[in-house]
Amino acid sequence: MHDIRFTAEDILGAQLALAEENYRLLKEKGVHAISVMGAIGSGKTSLIERIIDRAKPCGIVVATIAADSAGDDDHRRFLARGAHSVNLNTEDDCHLDAHRISHTLESLPLHEIDVLFVENVGNLICPADFPLGTDVEMIVISVTEGDDMVRKHPKIFAQTDLIVINKIDLASAVGVDPQTLVRDYAKVNPHGRAILTDARHNRGIDELLRALGIECTNTQW
Amino acid sequence: MHEYSVVSELVALLLPRVGGIDGRVVSVHLRKGELRILSDASLVAAFEIVTSGTPLEGATLEIETVTTSVRCGACGYAGLAKHLEDESFHFAIPILACPRCGAEVEVTSGRELSIESVRVASLDPDESQDASGEEGGCRSSGAA
Repeated sequence: MHDIRFTAEDILGAQLALAEENYRLLKEKGVHAISVMGAIGSGKTSLIERIIDRAKPCGIVVATIAADSAGDDDHRRFLARGAHSVNLNTEDDCHLDAHRISHTLESLPLHEIDVLFVENVGNLICPADFPLGTDVEMIVISVTEGDDMVRKHPKIFAQTDLIVINKIDLASAVGVDPQTLVRDYAKVNPHGRAILTDARHNRGIDELLRALGIECTNTQW
Repeated sequence: MHEYSVVSELVALLLPRVGGIDGRVVSVHLRKGELRILSDASLVAAFEIVTSGTPLEGATLEIETVTTSVRCGACGYAGLAKHLEDESFHFAIPILACPRCGAEVEVTSGRELSIESVRVASLDPDESQDASGEEGGCRSSGAA
């Protein structure tokens, strides 16, 4: 019996290298990229729609990569708002990866785009291990998912730049205190930032834009 | 669910390395950082399925969890990350902030996912094997 030792070669090293390539390409083209994760129905698409609406009068060009296991519902919603969009069906895959994103970037006019949202599939476990090459990673939670969401997925929240707690207009109706989510997030991620929104009624969107580093200098905004 | 795709990558990396050895792989030692969101039980189950019908069939997957370490640019701390020991979370959660001054940190370990070694049993029990010179960056540690 004997051991063969390996140099510390990362199994997902190829994905990491592709994520770094994506990051370099997006920087070179001046694109600010934001990865959006969260459960199905948390309001990821609605929040991006609100941001598209706010950014457009400022001359900020927004694009999206709309990922779902099937269908093109989100993609059509983004197109209807006048955004560049690519639909990306992952079929049976539970997450996006840097390889898929690198191919998708080829079909976007990156030189025209200021901000790119990559909307991941509605899953809060698998995407954590697959960096895409974005500047910011954010998770959207709806209060309707319960005030124990952070406690149920602590590792991904511990590694995510910011969270959006959405549908706060429904908080009292479902008996959830959004501050419980804010406190739990602060425990696992002392440097993370939590933003409270009600995308349906356009509340909290300005604060979210500032947190994402999307600045509008147009006074009409 | 992504354990299957991770194990498929692992096996794809391993097979060319073990194809030429004179012996049978009995175990594979994987180092997994604790920040990885991968279930050990699912990795082991996926390994059994993915290796079926390959030269790795029958080998066991041994998983070593690597604790998170951080480096602080503000105060110079370098060492283990603090872990949140809050009963409501049930597990100790690594905290990516400096245990000494609270500033943001760089993660220096805890995200690994690498093959450390494979253990090979000789087909001829009397024959001592030396796998040095294996292609693909492997080096032998000699008979165990």
